[in-house]
Amino acid sequence: MNCAEFWNEMPELASGGESEHAHLKQCPQCAGLIDRQRRLASGLRTMAHEMGAVAAPPRVEANLLEAFRSEMASAGPRLVRMRMLPVFSWVAAAAAVIAMAAWVAPRRHTAPPAAHHTPAAGVELASLVDDAADDDGFIPLPNAERVGPNDDVHVVRMELPRSAMLVVGLDVSPERVSERVEAEVMLGPDGLARAVRFADESGTY
Amino acid sequence: MKAIRQETDEDLLIRLRRGDEAAFLALYRKRQAALYRFALQMSGSAAVAEDITQEVFLALLRGECGFNPERGSLSGYLFGIARKLALRQMERGRVDVALESDAEDADLPELAVNDDTLADLTHREGIEALRRAVSALPRRYREVVVLCDLEEVDYADAAAALACPIGTVRSRLHRARALLLEKLNKERPKPVGALKPVRCAI
Repeated sequence: MNCAEFWNEMPELASGGESEHAHLKQCPQCAGLIDRQRRLASGLRTMAHEMGAVAAPPRVEANLLEAFRSEMASAGPRLVRMRMLPVFSWVAAAAAVIAMAAWVAPRRHTAPPAAHHTPAAGVELASLVDDAADDDGFIPLPNAERVGPNDDVHVVRMELPRSAMLVVGLDVSPERVSERVEAEVMLGPDGLARAVRFADESGTY
Repeated sequence: MKAIRQETDEDLLIRLRRGDEAAFLALYRKRQAALYRFALQMSGSAAVAEDITQEVFLALLRGECGFNPERGSLSGYLFGIARKLALRQMERGRVDVALESDAEDADLPELAVNDDTLADLTHREGIEALRRAVSALPRRYREVVVLCDLEEVDYADAAAALACPIGTVRSRLHRARALLLEKLNKERPKPVGALKPVRCAI
């Protein structure tokens, strides 16, 4: 091993135990350098030891604990409900929404391009649904059973083709129809999709 | 006697994601001090270090970090987040204790230094000088010294945190130590014999 090869491995060697290395026995210059490195490493260890008690102040833990509880309080019920859902429910919901999107999208594509942006087109499509969005931003799906005030509903989050927005009367520009959009689908007690709400560009609902 | 298995960071993370508060606290208490010290060394500011420590764990809590155990340990990943936050602070110009160039190819000092410099490292003044030298290192060398030498993070985790290959960690550490020795040598008061002779007017 020459000097260059030896120094290539130097950082590991500097921690000690390298005194017996064959190269150091035949190269006094490298032996001197490694000795200095070792003493520097020892100084750094002392410095690390002195800093060992330095830690974030207790208020950081208190703040984080508060954030943890608040995060769990807001995410908890949804997580539990989503976990309890049988897989077929959300698959069925996704299939229902996508199928409706597939049914509506071709019709939209046959319309003149300008119509996608006109308020009249929006009104026309909005008439496919019975009601406007509820307070939570959920838009009832066409022909879906209404959700009663005491119904046990579940919400699943999924990605849908943007064309699914056409189903509920939302306007979509033709060039963005094939993009994907994040949405929450509300399922009734029977596991069928009842309403949907779409995330905006920033990902919020 | 049955040995009690210490929970790994990854075990705690799984429990944390299930909403286990005790796991969150255990993970925080296990990792916060090293992250805080790293942020403190990088920023030179206790207030910034506090913010960074808090932000690291908030990112973990909100699942924003996208941690993948196949790419490295959680510890290395948390240091990586802390580093990014510290760099962001530096870019904003709020903090940067190192005033020198970060150029990778800057001329590197030789390791030949006065041995007395190293003998000083056994004294308080010597350690203080070393602390100043670490703070004055260019950022890319300071971070590797803080991680590997002060926090004893292994090279694999340091490479994950610094987003570079292990070989780069090694070479930067080598250069960083050379720079430290050079800085320590410069800090030493010059011996009387080294003073410039002056002509006596009497």
